[in-house]
Amino acid sequence: MMNLNPLTLKKINRFKSIKRGYYSFIIFILMIGISLFAELIVNKRAIVVKHEGTYYFPTYGDMIPGTKFGLDYDYETDYRKLKTYFKKQRKGNWILMPAVPYDAFENDLRVDQYPPFPPSIKDRHFLGTDTVGRDIVARLVYGFRYAIFFSLILLAVNYTIGVSIGSAMGFQGGKFDLFFQRIVEIWSNVPFLYVIIIISSIVVPSFFMLIVIMSFFGWMSMTWTMRTITYKEKAREYVLAARAMGASTSRIIFRHIIPNTVAIIVTFAPFSISGGIVSLTSLDYLGFGLPPPTPSWGELLHQGWSNMDAWWIAGSVVVAMVVTLLTVTFIGEAVREAFDPKMHTTYE
Amino acid sequence: MSKTSILEIKNLVTSFDTENGRIRAVDDVSFNVKKGATLGIVGESGCGKSVTAFSIMRLLPQPSGVIEQGKILFDDMDIVRLPADKMHEIRGNRISIIFQEPMTALNPVYRIGKQLGEVFTLHFPEMTDAEIHSESVNLLHKVGMPEPDKRLTEYPHQISGGMRQRVMISMALACKPDILIADEPTTALDVTIQAQVLELITRLQRETGMSVIFITHDLGVIAEMCDDVVVMYAGKIAEKAPVEELFKNPGHPYTRGLLSSIPRLENPGKIKLSIIKGMVPSLYELPDGCRFQNRCPDAEDICKTRIPEMKKVGDNHFAACHFPGKIPSPAFKPLQANDLKVDPPVNKTRESENFLTVSHLKMHFPIYGGIFRRKVGNVYAVDDVSLTIKSSETVGLVGESGCGKTTLGRTIVRLYKPTDGNIYFGRKNITRLRQKELRDYRRNMQMIFQDPFESLNSRHTVGDILEEPFIIHNVGTPDERKEEVKTLLYKVGLPEHAATRFPHEFSGGQRQRIGIARAIALKPDLIICDEPVSALDVSIQSQILNLLMDLQKEMNLSYLFIAHDLAVVKHISDRIAVMYLGKIVEFTDADTIYKKPLHPYTRALISAIPIPDPCIKGEKQVLTGDVPSPVNPPAGCSFHTRCPVAIDKCRSEQPLLLPVPGTAGTEHLVSCHLV
Repeated sequence: MMNLNPLTLKKINRFKSIKRGYYSFIIFILMIGISLFAELIVNKRAIVVKHEGTYYFPTYGDMIPGTKFGLDYDYETDYRKLKTYFKKQRKGNWILMPAVPYDAFENDLRVDQYPPFPPSIKDRHFLGTDTVGRDIVARLVYGFRYAIFFSLILLAVNYTIGVSIGSAMGFQGGKFDLFFQRIVEIWSNVPFLYVIIIISSIVVPSFFMLIVIMSFFGWMSMTWTMRTITYKEKAREYVLAARAMGASTSRIIFRHIIPNTVAIIVTFAPFSISGGIVSLTSLDYLGFGLPPPTPSWGELLHQGWSNMDAWWIAGSVVVAMVVTLLTVTFIGEAVREAFDPKMHTTYE
Repeated sequence: MSKTSILEIKNLVTSFDTENGRIRAVDDVSFNVKKGATLGIVGESGCGKSVTAFSIMRLLPQPSGVIEQGKILFDDMDIVRLPADKMHEIRGNRISIIFQEPMTALNPVYRIGKQLGEVFTLHFPEMTDAEIHSESVNLLHKVGMPEPDKRLTEYPHQISGGMRQRVMISMALACKPDILIADEPTTALDVTIQAQVLELITRLQRETGMSVIFITHDLGVIAEMCDDVVVMYAGKIAEKAPVEELFKNPGHPYTRGLLSSIPRLENPGKIKLSIIKGMVPSLYELPDGCRFQNRCPDAEDICKTRIPEMKKVGDNHFAACHFPGKIPSPAFKPLQANDLKVDPPVNKTRESENFLTVSHLKMHFPIYGGIFRRKVGNVYAVDDVSLTIKSSETVGLVGESGCGKTTLGRTIVRLYKPTDGNIYFGRKNITRLRQKELRDYRRNMQMIFQDPFESLNSRHTVGDILEEPFIIHNVGTPDERKEEVKTLLYKVGLPEHAATRFPHEFSGGQRQRIGIARAIALKPDLIICDEPVSALDVSIQSQILNLLMDLQKEMNLSYLFIAHDLAVVKHISDRIAVMYLGKIVEFTDADTIYKKPLHPYTRALISAIPIPDPCIKGEKQVLTGDVPSPVNPPAGCSFHTRCPVAIDKCRSEQPLLLPVPGTAGTEHLVSCHLV
């Protein structure tokens, strides 16, 4: 049974009372939720198709060939065309398309017109298309999914390594600590952008490859904090009490010290997330990130930069970045304030 | 405003806005401070003593602290309504304050001279630097600081706590204030240093004729220092009276409870103290009617509904009680002769067995320095200590801070690796056991720690905390452990549902009970109690002492009871070891220590304890100076630098801890050349 510490409960309540952070949190969770179920909102596949009395849900699962709906091709059904076809047929068949009936990879090409196309409600390109005719909403939504999960996984990996090594440094102290301090210092001075450029010129980095590379250079920051807190915590009497009882070192670290540092780790997390988003975006912008045609904000930003007259490209991605980073930062601020409510006290 | 009083507080109400609403920390408090006299404010923590003082200085945290009502009349001005710039002129100039914690009250990055000079530059801008310097030297000289010239160029961390408190006092006195507020000025100091500081304040008051408001929780200090006393309870005044009157004829049951729950040196040890049950109510959930009702042995129906008004008990003596001065109920009766029967020691046969023997134990901590981190010296924390503890016996260990008491305790349970010497537990030498082998012995030796807020992991429930010893030592199944936890909670007097709650939901006393429960979980033979009551309020302290004595009787425990308060140690111990600079200087049974102390250090410790009776104002033998650093202990007898009777031999030759000649039957060990 999870028995929530009333102190934690108090922190959560305090967090809720900081409106800016709390609403940002709700928006952020909503954004993640939407991006998780993005296939239902932004997709070229239909949500529901009713054809000759049977219902089809093509969103998830294998592709349904056109012949199934009485079309004359074997490849995946083009549901947008199917919709107009059904309308002409007037046989009671109908189709429900997502709000944005495009996915992130398809090029909406037209005769005698060259992308980028400006925003148009009629075409259901709510934010227009990019330079190769891909829908920007779709690119943004799927790009967000990549970015947020990238930074969440990166956070988990970085913190696992950083917390373990940091608390070991703090707990062991002495030579072990000195050795790792120097390692971390040298490590932090490796220019990691160059290393990534070199690596990605040899192999095309995949999603997990990028996480491995980034965490290779990202675990250090947490060690400093953890080392300091562990030094502080291990001198406290409850650790002494545990030791007097005969507790082993690993029990002291994992059962006693780390739970007491959670509060501090949590206050760092939102800022690490926004850091992760920013670094992935900038790598993509430079072209060293995820391989094309993976939807990514950095790549969109790059397009927007080279096509300034297509204002909707740069505009939408910049707004999306600002909103995301702002919400994450507001959350971070509110978490910090909720966990460390040193009231802004003054004396006259 | 009458001629004789200098400060008049009328119906003061000070509130704080907190997350859970507004609380009244000081609720309708009125009192007068007489010119040239000392007013004591006494009460347990959370009773509003300090807030009263800060209200007088208007040093309330903004924006949460507000003076809601009332007047503070000082020199025909109402401090409550004074504009801020006028207040700056009064603060530090006419009314000064010294704080509890001299360690943090001085700014560590400024030299002492600079901080002291600041007072002058603020209030006397016309003074030149040379004048400020000479005035500062004068002041430090006045507060008894050796080599004041040199001190001015030093930083706060270079001088000891007692010296820092002297600097604070000299800063407070720089402008010759009319009123000095002393907010627990000696609580953080050792008894010997406390005696020095108290003497200093008294002398300075005599010289300058200022009034002093003395805030403390220690009734002994009150009896020694004050002319009038205000007893506060839960934000309200419980009683105010001249000091003799208060001690002789306490009108409020709370005062009676406080007076009867302090352990006194002159009482025989090992008897149950009378206690005030329960604890101070939280300011968030104050009861209707009298705030003391839930702890009062004499409470009647009216106390539950009506707030008592101040009633006159005698001359200038008022108590906020519906039945002031009622014949005290037996609970708070002063001790009677037949209460004093000492229980015969349990298990006479086992008594002679020394089941813990410490012989020539040394614990030196190396100091590393220089570029290459070479060893440059040692801290001689415990230096050649021999000690025995018999089964179901309590051995007390007293001494000033920094004399190695805690280190000795921790070395005995092998939290440290001793440098030299031997520790025998029963017949087994545990000095050099490795961690794994030690684990079995840990079951038999446990510790109770000083700070109940620090020693419990705030992330674990009380149930988890109490279950941990069983888990570590693989005892029982989860269900059996749960049962054990319940029994433990019952044993230390906590409700069963405490198991699912977290430590911070409990008060200091309750937390200490949890710490005790954890220590007795595996039914150990020996418990090292490291200052278990020094962080607690008087009324809670007596509850815990009683609990420890009950458990000892029930479980045949032996205690090594470490404390700096000789009265507490004497109360609970069978034998007492007095420690000074890593060495035991006197070791004998508790009564002998009090009745016939032989070592000059023991005598000084005893005489430094403030006696909670204003009629006894005995000659004080105040020790000068501080405990020398354990890095360079003085040659010869380590006490010779402070000893009032030292002879030449003491400076060169180290005395040995030897039995006193002519004390057949009782063992009395002293290390002094003059015995």
